[in-house]
Amino acid sequence: MNQAVIQLMVSGALMGLVYALVAYGFQLTYATSKSINFGQGELVMLSAFFSLTLTNLGLPYYLMIPGGLLFGVVAGLFVERAGVRLALEQKSEGWILMTIILGLFGVSAAENIWGRDDRPFPTPIPTEPMQFFDISITPLEISVAIGVVMIMVIIELFKRKTLLGKAFEAVSADRDAAELMGISATRTIMLSYGLSGLVAALAGILVSPITTVGPTMASALVLKAFSVAVVAGLESGFGVVIVGLFLGSLESLTSFYVGSGWREAPGLVLLILALAVRPTGIFGKAVIRKV
Amino acid sequence: MLKRLILIRGIEGLMVLLLAAIPLLVNNSFVLGLLTLLAIYGILLIGLDITVGYLGLVNLAQAAFLGLGAYAAGLTVTIFGFGMLSALAVSTVIGLVMGTLIAFPSLRLDGPQFALATLSFSALSATVLNEWESLTLGAQGLQLHRPLLFGISLDAKGFYWLCLFFLGIVWIAMHNLLSSQWGRAFEALRDSPIATDAMGIGTYRHKVTAFALGSGLGGLAGGLYAFNFEYLQPHVFIYELMVILLLGVVLGGRKSLWGSFVGAVLIVLLPNLLSNRILFQFFSSTGFLFTLGAGGMALYQKKNRLFQAVAPMIAMGLLVVGSFTVQNTEDWRKAIFALMLFSVVVGLPEGLMGFTSRFLSRIFSIEAEPFAPLSGLEQVLVRKPVDGSPLLQIQELKCYFGGIKAVDGVSLTVASGTIHGLIGPNGSGKSTLVNLVSGLYVPTDGTILFHGKPLVQGSLFAVARQGICRTFQNLQLFSELTALDNVMVSMKGFYSTPLPLVLLGLAKRAEKRAEADSLALLEMVGLSGEARTAAKDLPYGAQRFLEIARAVARRPTLIILDEPAAGLAQPDVVTLLGIIRRIHQQGITVIMIEHHMEVVSGLCDIVTVLDGGKVIAEGVPDEIRRNPLVIEAYLGKGSEPPAATAECRLSPMPVPA
Repeated sequence: MNQAVIQLMVSGALMGLVYALVAYGFQLTYATSKSINFGQGELVMLSAFFSLTLTNLGLPYYLMIPGGLLFGVVAGLFVERAGVRLALEQKSEGWILMTIILGLFGVSAAENIWGRDDRPFPTPIPTEPMQFFDISITPLEISVAIGVVMIMVIIELFKRKTLLGKAFEAVSADRDAAELMGISATRTIMLSYGLSGLVAALAGILVSPITTVGPTMASALVLKAFSVAVVAGLESGFGVVIVGLFLGSLESLTSFYVGSGWREAPGLVLLILALAVRPTGIFGKAVIRKV
Repeated sequence: MLKRLILIRGIEGLMVLLLAAIPLLVNNSFVLGLLTLLAIYGILLIGLDITVGYLGLVNLAQAAFLGLGAYAAGLTVTIFGFGMLSALAVSTVIGLVMGTLIAFPSLRLDGPQFALATLSFSALSATVLNEWESLTLGAQGLQLHRPLLFGISLDAKGFYWLCLFFLGIVWIAMHNLLSSQWGRAFEALRDSPIATDAMGIGTYRHKVTAFALGSGLGGLAGGLYAFNFEYLQPHVFIYELMVILLLGVVLGGRKSLWGSFVGAVLIVLLPNLLSNRILFQFFSSTGFLFTLGAGGMALYQKKNRLFQAVAPMIAMGLLVVGSFTVQNTEDWRKAIFALMLFSVVVGLPEGLMGFTSRFLSRIFSIEAEPFAPLSGLEQVLVRKPVDGSPLLQIQELKCYFGGIKAVDGVSLTVASGTIHGLIGPNGSGKSTLVNLVSGLYVPTDGTILFHGKPLVQGSLFAVARQGICRTFQNLQLFSELTALDNVMVSMKGFYSTPLPLVLLGLAKRAEKRAEADSLALLEMVGLSGEARTAAKDLPYGAQRFLEIARAVARRPTLIILDEPAAGLAQPDVVTLLGIIRRIHQQGITVIMIEHHMEVVSGLCDIVTVLDGGKVIAEGVPDEIRRNPLVIEAYLGKGSEPPAATAECRLSPMPVPA
């Protein structure tokens, strides 16, 4: 393979990690409630804008991050309360429409509060490329990779090692049984939406210095994250990373060789193909129907 | 009956006449434009309502089908010089074909996958329309001229009438479809996809058909759209339009042709409503007062949760505040749509038409149509000859879930014309065995022969079509449907009319026969007085009987009853015995899982006992009762055989698994 192709694939794969992180946000809520936030991209975008405002207010980078993450958590909780809980109580799929609605409201709010233009997102992390085996990678891109992997590891550890995390796993495994054991499913679902919001906010903070911030970043990100989540399956955290890396590099190759207008296409085609071939995803488990 | 027909058809006819007459009375090209758009959106929303309303799925692709249909019409006219009707046919076919293609993968799973697939499809078609510049001219836009219709060039007025004509056709066809067995099947699969398959109706194929039809209407609307505007640009058919369409369907009222029409009116008026500040203030305030009133009342009567009452108030309140403070409403379009949609979805989920029709039906009570005279049971269930030959042969059947051997090498033969009992303690594998035979599970190993030939495995639907029907231990009724409809829909595979004929309204005879037969079956289970009661409102025992009637309606050779007596009161058990005997008399072979020993003793010719996934005994009920292995399986080692005189009930301990 020639150098240019590898270079394209590596930078694409690093972007793919961000898709994986957004997709991981879907998995967190899907595990507890079998619902996902269709407005997750808007959460990423709003958190990024909020963090940008914090930066512009003069907050240093290391204080801006917790501020942005907190915003993400609060927004995630809001989505759960306003858009998801009622539908889950009614055992309907109304949450799909509701989270789309909330997302739409988010876009509109962002357009009017922060404007329709893309804005640069300052970062103290250097952007001069470094050379590894003739592949140039910026420290910024490395920071994205580290951030994505770190947050996923922390959340997975939290789920496995802490009591609260075990409650999370219990509700994911069997909601009714968990409730009988005195675990509040509603609170656990809130927790999962909060975590999902946190993950979205981090994705926004990590990706914005590379892509800039704008109201349109939401739909672009979310479509790819959907592809990653469906292709990998809505259960496997490990799977989204693999598929994210793959889709990211595929997309960057498509964009270079076919045309940047087509860059969305491979993810969309993959999503539909995955549903045709393996609807539960590559890393998903088949469900047993019970009567 | 006549009164009802005249009333409903009369209102519809008046509406069409009125709509058709407006351009003759008002000579205003703006109004004419709105009316044309109304007809086009009407078709589009009726198509969308099939999936959103009847199937209950969030469909995000209708805007894309509008776009594809529009471009298909535009391109066939500009490139091949097609006439009006042939171009419209192409748009419709494109919608149908693309709809089918997208439906196959996306409808395999329940859950968010369908919404995701349709969303991806929309994004993909937007990309293609934008980027395939050699064909669509991309963002530059496609200019076209309205082609001739039978050699006549239509002016704006003529084209409007054509659109209205199409709306009328679509309306009638959809009315025929939705009031037929198809419409019933759509509603049934929403309530219980598993039962829809198990009755041989077919969940998947109905979902695919419904979505494809809706998409075809999207394509047709797209064709008309292209000839209306004579200029196409890809960015029109985007996400935002999709949300507006959903707003139309939901606010208008789901599962209703009138609802779609009202929704279309709303969508057409929306841009004008937003551009006029005073009008917008008026409508948002009215909406706010409405949520205050309705929400307050619901809270007072304790009908709604707090959230359902208060959230729409907040949303509409924000809208009112916005309508008075925001400088340019156009900037906030998306937020306005979002707030409106939010209030409707939460506060008025039945939509305007649902609300209105509930209100109207309280004022005017229209007499329901009388039923067709019921058929004789002997004609419905033609007595099948039975000869005691092996009907169902299960050989070395195995089903493992991971390390659990739920069924571990079961062999048994069910003879034609018998009532075959299947008993065993909890976890012995009875239900798994039944699920294997009926096609819910795929066996790990082993064969099932039916009529001496291998039975299809792993498809409830295919097994049902071969003549094996079942009931469910945990009831799987179509709970929103009436008792009669529950039975009727199950005859869909039996009295089938091809879809095109149904659309043309030529399925009425089959309908009447299905109705007559179903009434006979309802009478057999003692529910003829409850034909119009929704299944969910029936008492528990009646629900069990209804499930049996529904399974019998499919005219099976073999019926599998999964714990039919579970939870029944004593008088109901007696009724149940009568029903099962009646079915059996007509030559239907019965397999029955049961815990009530009195039911087993009273009915079964032969009983097979399972334990730990294996057959431990087989014989006539009296033998089985005394079999030490059976007693051990139920009561544990070292138990004395129960006294023969005391009613030996093996039922006390096992609670249905």
